[in-house]
Amino acid sequence: MSAASETAWAEWFSPEELGHFRRRRSIDRWFGRLLPVVFLVAIIPILDLVYWVSQRSLPTFTWAILTTNPTGNAGGLYGPLVGTVYLLLMGLAIAVPLGILAGLASGVFLPHPWGEVVRGAGDLLVGTPSVILGYFGYFALVLYLGWGASLLAGGVTLGIFMLPYVARTSDQAFSSVPTDLRDAALGAGARLRQYAARIAFPIALPQVLSGIFLAAAIGIGETAPLLWTALFSSYPPTQLSEPTGYLTGLIWNYFDEPPTFGTEVTLAFQAALILIAIVVAMNVIVRVLAERSRRKLEGLYG
Amino acid sequence: MIAVPDPASLAPAPAGFLEVDHLSVRAGARTILDDVTLNIPDRTVTGVLGPSGCGKTTFIRCLNRMVELSRGLRLEGSVRLLGRDLYDRAIDPALVRRRIGMVFQRPTVFPSSVFENAAFGLRLVHASEEEVDRRVEDALRRSGLWDEVRDDLDRSALSLSGGQQQRLCIARALAVEPRVLLLDEPTSNLDPQGTQRIEATVRRLREDIAIVIVTHNVGQAARISDRVAFLHAGRLVEVGPTADILERPREALTEQFITGRFS
Repeated sequence: MSAASETAWAEWFSPEELGHFRRRRSIDRWFGRLLPVVFLVAIIPILDLVYWVSQRSLPTFTWAILTTNPTGNAGGLYGPLVGTVYLLLMGLAIAVPLGILAGLASGVFLPHPWGEVVRGAGDLLVGTPSVILGYFGYFALVLYLGWGASLLAGGVTLGIFMLPYVARTSDQAFSSVPTDLRDAALGAGARLRQYAARIAFPIALPQVLSGIFLAAAIGIGETAPLLWTALFSSYPPTQLSEPTGYLTGLIWNYFDEPPTFGTEVTLAFQAALILIAIVVAMNVIVRVLAERSRRKLEGLYG
Repeated sequence: MIAVPDPASLAPAPAGFLEVDHLSVRAGARTILDDVTLNIPDRTVTGVLGPSGCGKTTFIRCLNRMVELSRGLRLEGSVRLLGRDLYDRAIDPALVRRRIGMVFQRPTVFPSSVFENAAFGLRLVHASEEEVDRRVEDALRRSGLWDEVRDDLDRSALSLSGGQQQRLCIARALAVEPRVLLLDEPTSNLDPQGTQRIEATVRRLREDIAIVIVTHNVGQAARISDRVAFLHAGRLVEVGPTADILERPREALTEQFITGRFS
């Protein structure tokens, strides 16, 4: 810039205007410099955790631990791994249909203010400590219904735990479908349930799916709802009425053992490593689905 | 099916085709529409003209019970199609909306193919494939979009231009054979060319059905409507043949509006 244009530029603004924008710009810059710090604060504990778990689990890791049951003070993770999968599938079998129905109710069907009531109930359930749900499962399912500590009681309790996560994301997914499209569908003579099935559901689907994976990722890491409902076992369950093992239960049982039980502590770390890997994979899926949903909605609004 | 006589038995159209009778709409203490009485004849374009916020959109949404989807509005009075009260408890609003179709300000295509968008209303009643094919083509021809999309009906409706999307919305409404088509400022988001195409479509459609078009554009009302109703602050100021209202308005408010003293 030439000196002349520099002078002209300065003359176009009052000193107050210039001072104001200079101050704002310098504040912006300072916050910009803080970003890497904030990023590190968020990422360091995670990296540290992964490092710590890997260091203690990888040196003795063999693929064989995935196919052998835990024995006394050694063995593998087969039983609890299978139990985890069964518990999760059973929980999802409850949480997914009920959660989607709840989301449809609050996001599409219920008139004001009943949708809010359903949302509030979901929030209450999310806010309930999972150990309370564990007690609920123990008293209601294990004792009162007489199911005993079992795959069934554990799966149902885990399902109740995951339900509000599915319901909340489904509600958001259905609510974010543009009202214009609802009006257009109803204006063409559709009933509300035809709108829900033909228009809202396909548009909301990626976000609903991402909610299901999110709920699964949270549920798979839970211990408290299962301690008294699924109890524990070293062997893969063969019946709904049998107690079953699960990875978090194995960690809970083995992690506190004294150092003389070294192999058991190592097994707990290996279980943790597998859990972390599963949760990371699920979160990647959640991200991918969320991105797909964002693009879909952007296309509609564009 | 709604108890509306077969179109063939309608001719000649009775004096009262779509009758709005002492219609008021209130939201709490606020009055949005105040005692509107108006006759909408068959095979005619009725333009509803008025400044922003005068109740035009609420008015047109009363004609096919779309207004019931808005929270907290109370209706008084009645709307009758061929003497039948549309708000009768025995009448299903979904059926009302099939015979009185609607197109909105913003094009509202669904994220599916051009064909499926036009077929939407037919799929709702599980029409046969042959019937769907036939009616979709017919609707796209009547909406003036056929020649532009006939080669690729499977393309995404979202890939169409705004004006094409709006004509697709008209086709979607036409596919279920409405007797009345409601257009709520259908060209307010379109460029002049898109606007022109929609106006040409509306002129052709008036041969078969009644059309009610909301607009705040005096020029558009003059170009396409046979009759004009002027609304102001929720009241019907005057209604009559387009030339009478736009060239020789009886009311001062109407004159001020059409001469651009307020909008």
